[in-house]
Amino acid sequence: MDQELLAPLAGQVLAIKCAVGDTVEEDEEVVVIEALKMETPVFAPCDGTVKEIRVKEGASVEEDDVLIILST
Amino acid sequence: MRRYFEKMDDVGRELRKGEVKRTDDNVAALKEVEAELDAAVERVKTTGLSTEKINERGQMTVWQRLEYLVEPGTWCPLHTLYNPLDNPEDTTNVIDGIGKIGGKWAVVIGFDNKVFAGAWMPGQPENILRVTQVSKRLNLPLVWLVNCSGAKLPDQEKFYANRRGAGTPFYRHAELEQLGIPILAGIYGTNPAGGGYQGISPTVLFAHKNCNIAVGGAGIVSGMAPKGHFDVETAKGLIEKAKEFRDEPPGTVKTHYDETGFFRYVFDEETEVLDALKEYMAEMPAYHPRFFRVAEPKPPKYPSDDLYRVVPLEPKRVYEFEQVLARLVDSSEHTEFRPGYGPEVYTGLCKIDGFLVGVVGNRQGYLGKDYPEYGDYPGIGGKLYRQGLIKMNEFVTLCGRDRLPIVWIQDTSGIDVGDAAEKAELLGLGQGLIYSIQQTDVPMICVVVRKASAAAHYLMGGPPANRHNAFTVGTAASEVYVMHGETAAVATYVRRLIKEDAAGRPLEPVVEQMNELAQQYHDHSRPVYCARYGMLDEVVKMSELRRYLVAFAGAVYQNPKSICPQNHMVLPRLIKG
Repeated sequence: MDQELLAPLAGQVLAIKCAVGDTVEEDEEVVVIEALKMETPVFAPCDGTVKEIRVKEGASVEEDDVLIILST
Repeated sequence: MRRYFEKMDDVGRELRKGEVKRTDDNVAALKEVEAELDAAVERVKTTGLSTEKINERGQMTVWQRLEYLVEPGTWCPLHTLYNPLDNPEDTTNVIDGIGKIGGKWAVVIGFDNKVFAGAWMPGQPENILRVTQVSKRLNLPLVWLVNCSGAKLPDQEKFYANRRGAGTPFYRHAELEQLGIPILAGIYGTNPAGGGYQGISPTVLFAHKNCNIAVGGAGIVSGMAPKGHFDVETAKGLIEKAKEFRDEPPGTVKTHYDETGFFRYVFDEETEVLDALKEYMAEMPAYHPRFFRVAEPKPPKYPSDDLYRVVPLEPKRVYEFEQVLARLVDSSEHTEFRPGYGPEVYTGLCKIDGFLVGVVGNRQGYLGKDYPEYGDYPGIGGKLYRQGLIKMNEFVTLCGRDRLPIVWIQDTSGIDVGDAAEKAELLGLGQGLIYSIQQTDVPMICVVVRKASAAAHYLMGGPPANRHNAFTVGTAASEVYVMHGETAAVATYVRRLIKEDAAGRPLEPVVEQMNELAQQYHDHSRPVYCARYGMLDEVVKMSELRRYLVAFAGAVYQNPKSICPQNHMVLPRLIKG
């Protein structure tokens, strides 16, 4: 089953901490978004494998944009 | 009122597997800072003569006296690293804190007799005034371990005079006594001049047999007639006089116990002086804790060591405030005041060691796209907006009504700025909060968990609220500055950049200055620096924060000057509706 990981807020993608095919654990930090001078980490909602990364580092995202798709 | 307090709402949760995994680096980084703090404290403890040397003279050091006097596990040191005028000895030469003696909370302060026999030194008056303020605010007895050789004479111009100079603590002692706060003094060693007043100004004097207190010591008495110069004849006269007074200095036990009776007791052994202080402290007026407790004391559900994983050292990283709160308060329970309104600020009632306190803290992270309601930009925790300021004004005022002490947990980058914020009245609401705090006569403690910045540091119960802020503690993650260093560099140099650019000159020299300023801000906001210059009264290990809160709550409720019956409290009912 696919699980979408959404941007919790609008901002710039500061870091992507996983690659397609990586196995991630629940609550592992996978993306960091910078907005309003603060870094907001985005955590994996569940254990899974990174199926697709929809954004690049430095890209601007809007709230609820899909960042990553995990296969669970 | 049991239904309000015995079981409150749960707050926080256990750390998840992924959180533990990703925070190992943060734990290591915070512990590294704590190791630096430990090293700085060790320098203070070992400055001056060695313990062995003092013991060879038949004396205990101030540290040994404190260890003997204060109940194990209750000592909460304050101002350990405070050294605002950069004494090379790394100390203002007084050691202080709060702890239990004879079962009662007290503020305790003693001269470090390893350094110039406990002399007055630069920065010391301000240190003592902070201590008398703690005593006054918490209505706690002040216990002095006097062992003061008087002014360090070569540096006298830095502390002798002035509005908050070395004479001011004697007025503060009188003020405390007039407020009904007793000052007990164990007196050791030679205490001439300033030391004499340190000895005489307390309420009850407990003397060691070899001590003296005097208006002037042997050194002054033997050479008090200046004639414009020194010569050999004068020098020989001084030698004779000094020998005479060395044998029998003024103000010994023979004078001040047998004649004046200033010393109420004299003891042969140093420890007997401390035993007598314990006996007197045991008899100090104090309520039994059950008088004020709203529930049985219970530890938090989650370990305090989790705080090393919850609070990121990196100031830009967001975290959950509730996870911090859950590791500080009894049973990890709370009753939140106005949840949902002013979401950047937490306000609520919690228990510390069974005592009810109000807690205010900064939430972190994104606040949702509809907040602040007056701006077309997103809000983020750490900043203060209109609703949060209104909520704090209300909460503080109601805590005053219910006589609840307030715990401020700061991690703030400032108040929202811009014309929308001005139209939303943030300037007036911020100063309004200062007004609310000032007229709310309850003790407060401030914990700077991480950032303390801009005016928000002032108006969230920080040290500038010094009529009510008993003391402020920081952590290894604390940083205190008017604004972030990079922001300051931009504010300072942006016009210059524009000019240089317009003139076609290279920007590198300006950029270099900007980096230097940012670095200076960084260096001057580290925990050790903040403690040294008094921005924080103590920097405390993450795992020790709750112990300070327990001491604060116990001290506040030991003998409060004004009380509100639990059954008359309004705040819990306002929350419940």
